[in-house]
Amino acid sequence: MEILVDDVTFTYPGNVLALDGVTLTVASGEAMALIGENGAGKSTLARHLNGLLKPGEGRVLVGEWDTREHTVAQLAQRVAFAFQNPDDQLFARTVRDEVAFGPRNLGRSAAETATAVEMALEQVGLGGRADAHPYDLPVADRKLVTLAAVLAMETPLLVLDEPTAGQDAEGIRRVGDIVEQLKDAGRTIIAITHDMEFCAAHFGRVVVMAGGQIIADGAAGEILRQSELLARADVQPPQLVRLAQALGLPGTPLTRAAFLDLYEEKQQ
Amino acid sequence: MTTPFSLYLDRETGLHRLHPLTKLALALFYLVAGIAAPGVWGSYTVFLLLLPPALWGRIARPLLVAAGKAVLPFAVSLFLVQGFFWPGGTPILTLGPFSLKEEGLVFAIRSTGRILALVGSFLLLTLSTRPDRLMQALGERGTPQALTYILLTTLQIVPRFQEKARTILDAQRSRGLETEGNPWQRVRALLPLIQPLILGSIVDIEERAIALEVRAFGRSGPKTNLVALADSRGQQLARWLLLFGAVAVVGARLFLAVTGP
Amino acid sequence: MIEARHLTYHYPRAERPALNDLTLSIPAGQFCAVLGANGAGKSTLAYALTGFIPHFYRGRLEGKLEVAGNDVAQTPLAQLAGTVGFVFANPFNQITGAKFTVRQEIAFGLENLGVPPTEMAARVDEMLARMGLEEAADRSPIALSGGQQQRLAIASVLVMRPQVLVLDEPTSQLDPAGSEAIFRLLRTLAGDQEITIFLASHKVALIAEFADRALILSGGQIIDDGAPPAILADPGLERLGIIPSAYTELAHLARQRGLGNAGGPLPVTLAQAEAFFR
Repeated sequence: MEILVDDVTFTYPGNVLALDGVTLTVASGEAMALIGENGAGKSTLARHLNGLLKPGEGRVLVGEWDTREHTVAQLAQRVAFAFQNPDDQLFARTVRDEVAFGPRNLGRSAAETATAVEMALEQVGLGGRADAHPYDLPVADRKLVTLAAVLAMETPLLVLDEPTAGQDAEGIRRVGDIVEQLKDAGRTIIAITHDMEFCAAHFGRVVVMAGGQIIADGAAGEILRQSELLARADVQPPQLVRLAQALGLPGTPLTRAAFLDLYEEKQQ
Repeated sequence: MTTPFSLYLDRETGLHRLHPLTKLALALFYLVAGIAAPGVWGSYTVFLLLLPPALWGRIARPLLVAAGKAVLPFAVSLFLVQGFFWPGGTPILTLGPFSLKEEGLVFAIRSTGRILALVGSFLLLTLSTRPDRLMQALGERGTPQALTYILLTTLQIVPRFQEKARTILDAQRSRGLETEGNPWQRVRALLPLIQPLILGSIVDIEERAIALEVRAFGRSGPKTNLVALADSRGQQLARWLLLFGAVAVVGARLFLAVTGP
Repeated sequence: MIEARHLTYHYPRAERPALNDLTLSIPAGQFCAVLGANGAGKSTLAYALTGFIPHFYRGRLEGKLEVAGNDVAQTPLAQLAGTVGFVFANPFNQITGAKFTVRQEIAFGLENLGVPPTEMAARVDEMLARMGLEEAADRSPIALSGGQQQRLAIASVLVMRPQVLVLDEPTSQLDPAGSEAIFRLLRTLAGDQEITIFLASHKVALIAEFADRALILSGGQIIDDGAPPAILADPGLERLGIIPSAYTELAHLARQRGLGNAGGPLPVTLAQAEAFFR
């Protein structure tokens, strides 16, 4: 299922131009990171993907569906959106009910829902907390609950807004594992993130936004080494890349192993 | 990004520079006069008399527009209900089984006039007076800080609350909750909204209460103000005159009512 | 400036203590950062320093805590307010909501303290300049961006000239540029103005670069305590829930492959990593 953002312009009420002629195609199964400073338009763009916002000009196609012709609830069959602040959506009395909300709305049977919920909770590491009240969990775990809620919907596309924000080491590792599992299962993932290490570790494609426009779009290895470009979006390259550049190493190492290979070569 | 829930229009005019309590007294005078004015058209005269100060404050057009918008629904329903359903009375126009009664029409016109004067006075005050300055003035006269604080934060926090409600609704819609459907669906859609809104708000309120403590809000002892409110003997005198005037108007009206037309 | 002795705290109805026999001494003018997994006690300790525990959050507090000479448990919050400032993670909740301009928002605390208007105006102007909020001075606080609001929150507390400033994850809502600016500011406050800074944060790289001291909490106890570069140059920090610097992990791996500097501490910052690999 392909996603097409076709020359979209969007202005918030009060004349704030948030997207200025944005065009983007996301192929099925891609893992794409959306980076840029706060206010660049990342959230605005993400909200166009599930119909929360409709383009002022241009159009957005999710598969063959034009988002202007479908409600957000309908688009939820294809696009699951995990919000940045978990407290903006948690409402059920138990974690299980919370995670079941999405699949049930999408019309899954009770049995299918139960399976999806169990699997999702296992994936985020909260299998043992299914009967807990969401607000009894610390905020980082609440965020994992909202991630599980989105996983349980089993949609072809997932949009994650700052999935690692506020997580400690363990949480970041879990989110990373989940992204890899989703990639293996052939799902399409788009993540908004400030965490450059997380971006480099899991996303093959990087799109950089600034001032409501896409200023770069390409393979992670290509984009993440262009410090000046990234600086225009008020973003720095991942730490490994910065170190490689400081040491004069050729290439763009995105993993520790890649860095050390490069380093070893240079030593010879 | 939210904006405060306030009608205030920032202008550099003599009206704006008046002490808030002067404007409050002025608005109260118009209010009392507008309601007590005799005759069917008395209140309309009072409303028209609002225009000179409104022009002075360069808020005449916004005032007229806002007053029109606010009063129109009342006017329409009064006209329809009282005009056509006045018991007994003198019909002056007949449309099929319904007839427009003179007494009902008169009642509707007079009541609309009063509402117009009320809304107009309110607008004269709120369009020209920044809420925190009014609260500061009241605070200086002894209104408890807790009260003025609550009134002010409601103005600023309500839009934030609305924004939060919208975000929560977006989150639930993104999980398949159908909100764009028949009325029954829309009502059901509200249920998953309430808990996050309330719980989230409680957490926010708790943090805000603590944040206030950190800024010594709970400290007893005299407080000062960064910005002093400009006042003058002339304005103080004017305020007393306006208050006496309002009382006099009420007195005259009662006198007229007692002694009969 | 801050003296904690055998501090133990249970949240109401909690069985396990959130702070467990904690003893700590922080001198004036030190920029002290505390790290740990979520739930290790960072926020609890921050709340205790400001007096929210036990004045707001009841529960059982044992041991002794003195901040700037005040016994926290015995001193009312309103009195502590002038001495200890607190900055939350969420900048929006720190806006009073009663003030319509940034300038007046900053002045709020001074108004409550009864500071004379001319002095107040001078201090507010100085704070606006220091925090880069001059051009926003007449705008409404709730119309600012997240980064500006957090700077406003810090300004509003700083203008009261506290001796101690406690911050709980103040950069969680900011982007990397905004976060670095805050850390840089805290470093200046501690260095130039002798304000004692206590900061709960996850940001290892920034702490290594700007803080004087790092404490590691786990299960309500202090596990490690010392100068940031040394404390944070430990790839095993992950066990404790802390996200180590990418450079530390890289260097650790490099040594296992026989690359880079064989001796000396592992690097935490970029500069240290460069030195390690040259």
